[in-house]
Amino acid sequence: MSAEPDFDVIVVGAGVAGCITAYQLAGRGLSVALIDRGETPGAKNLSGGVLYTHPLQQVFPDFLQTAPIERRISRNQICFLNQDSSVAIDYRDARLDRDGTAVSVLRGRLDPWLAERCEDAGVLVMPGVRVDSLLIEDGRVVGVVAGEDELRARVTVAADGVNSFLARDAGLRPAPQPHQLAVGVKAVVQLPSDIIEARFGVDALEGAAIAVVGDCTRGVGGGGFIYTNQGSISVGVVLRLDDLTAKGLRSTEVFDGFLDHPYTERLLRGGELLEYGCHLVAEGGQAMVGELVHHGLVIVGDAAGMTINTGLTVRGMDLAAGAAIAAAVGVAEAIETGDVTAAGLAGYPKALAAGFVGQDLQTYARAPKFLENPRMYESYGPLLADALHQVFGLDGSARKPLRRVAMDALKGSGIGVGTIVKDAWQGARAL
Amino acid sequence: MKIVVAYKWAADPQEATVAADGQVDFSRAKSAVSDYDAVAITVARHLGDTHGADVVGLTVGGPEVATGLATKAALSRGLDALMVVADPALTAAGSTGTAQALATALAGVDDIAVLITGDSSVDVGAKLVPAVVGGLLGWPVLTEVTAVAIEPGALVVERAVSGGTEQLRIDGPAVLAVATDAATVKAPGMKDVLAAAKKPVQQLPADPVVADGTLRSTARLSGPARRGIQISTDDPAAAAAELVSALRADGVLIGGQQ
Repeated sequence: MSAEPDFDVIVVGAGVAGCITAYQLAGRGLSVALIDRGETPGAKNLSGGVLYTHPLQQVFPDFLQTAPIERRISRNQICFLNQDSSVAIDYRDARLDRDGTAVSVLRGRLDPWLAERCEDAGVLVMPGVRVDSLLIEDGRVVGVVAGEDELRARVTVAADGVNSFLARDAGLRPAPQPHQLAVGVKAVVQLPSDIIEARFGVDALEGAAIAVVGDCTRGVGGGGFIYTNQGSISVGVVLRLDDLTAKGLRSTEVFDGFLDHPYTERLLRGGELLEYGCHLVAEGGQAMVGELVHHGLVIVGDAAGMTINTGLTVRGMDLAAGAAIAAAVGVAEAIETGDVTAAGLAGYPKALAAGFVGQDLQTYARAPKFLENPRMYESYGPLLADALHQVFGLDGSARKPLRRVAMDALKGSGIGVGTIVKDAWQGARAL
Repeated sequence: MKIVVAYKWAADPQEATVAADGQVDFSRAKSAVSDYDAVAITVARHLGDTHGADVVGLTVGGPEVATGLATKAALSRGLDALMVVADPALTAAGSTGTAQALATALAGVDDIAVLITGDSSVDVGAKLVPAVVGGLLGWPVLTEVTAVAIEPGALVVERAVSGGTEQLRIDGPAVLAVATDAATVKAPGMKDVLAAAKKPVQQLPADPVVADGTLRSTARLSGPARRGIQISTDDPAAAAAELVSALRADGVLIGGQQ
């Protein structure tokens, strides 16, 4: 006979997934505790990034007006970076600004805001508490253990991030494979707002995000990113762990090389380094999302491996929010019916599969495999630059027709036409 | 009988950044119960348990001191109840304004055996507020207190003085600023936070805040000039030797082993 639970629901981890799950469940009249190891929620969070806001707007209709967002990202660039050249696609759209489709956020600011909304909704927020393990009785998760204390709940929500020791230590999730993980190294560099706006060609409150491929990772699978906050620039690289190890490089030297590259240096010049750190990033896509429910337990967000990297867009926070919305549905149903077994909680994976998270994970299921293709990081950047150099690099030699230019550049790159067609086809299918 | 602990909800200096020109920027630092005040709360809790007294927290400051996060953080450290004076005008209050607000709040509380405070605040560190509060209340003030006991109508206080400790007996209430190592602070557990959420928080109205006069910085912060010693790390062994000799020359390293 188990003791009476202290709460209907205990959520571990006050990030995007945890806060939104807690917020929605409290809104349904359940008693909810939200535990985070940071002294203030978000204190341990290095992230920040580009947040696709639609699920946040669904939960908080006033999100764009009241949340601590940095800038509305209205300009996206994809840049192939080579040692001495770069080729970029530049996409700017007033619709992105108008709709607030994507915003840059710093989690050190966003997470406390989310936790405050939880508090207002009646959630008992417990910062500064490190949960040591799940409390398991007869194979059922019945709460959590922290230090000498046990807290019991009908349902526990693991929202403890990419490492999710809770679910893993309980034997409920396998450890992620090296090719499913990347290491992210990031710095936040302070610059005056007007300089940021001038360098990135954006208006006040508007921002730019640049996805960089190629020399920024020294050919390691992954990419670089640069995006604008209000008074700072976030810059970093994401490096696939297996490839990094295979190439014998250290993440910090790759990152330093990216910071020193003239392309990056020009954007950051004169800035003051505010933060520097690294973190694991889940890159496995759908293949990494494991079992989401167990008796008395649901897993959400990064803890469940919910990330999508298409090479163009890197998504985690919006999926975490989407999963939280689905989890709240499933958990509330289970508690209402009194059946918190895996079967009783099945409303969560069902709602997830029916929503945009499940659909997008399905759509991009092939993306991780496609992005393991080394030509993405080594060959296509120089190929594009060589072709364009034939066009713009007028030096008195006779010009060739464009199709010849393309063919010559292709020959010089050592990639066969067949390979390009194949990569293009796979890219089209994966993305 | 009540034991009152005054604490500050202060920006954490570990999160402050120091610019190359020496300017300290607290704007990105999150707030917490000031480290030394957590020692004061721990001392007060022991004292309360020993004598069966209520331990009541008191803080004054801007609106952020009254948020659930802030009040729970204080209560979870072992206070029985909390009194809060939150007013935008107190955000930038100096020692005089802060002490005035604390003294006003204390004047409305009966049966106070003692007011316990931390050694100093972690963000400002002026060590002034306990003395000004004591002055305003007409109570004796002792600093560097390492132990307290309550006897009928009196306090028995141990305090660190240069060369040792002294024991003092004070009739009636007093303001005691405890030494930074007067007690070992334990991080609150889940049950402590849970209990904190159920404890009473009393919000008191703020009187007009006393301004500390007009203080204006008239010269830039300047420290001792750096002598510009630079050590190349190309050869780590040589760099280590050079660093040791530089530290020795400055008297930082002493003793044998050249």
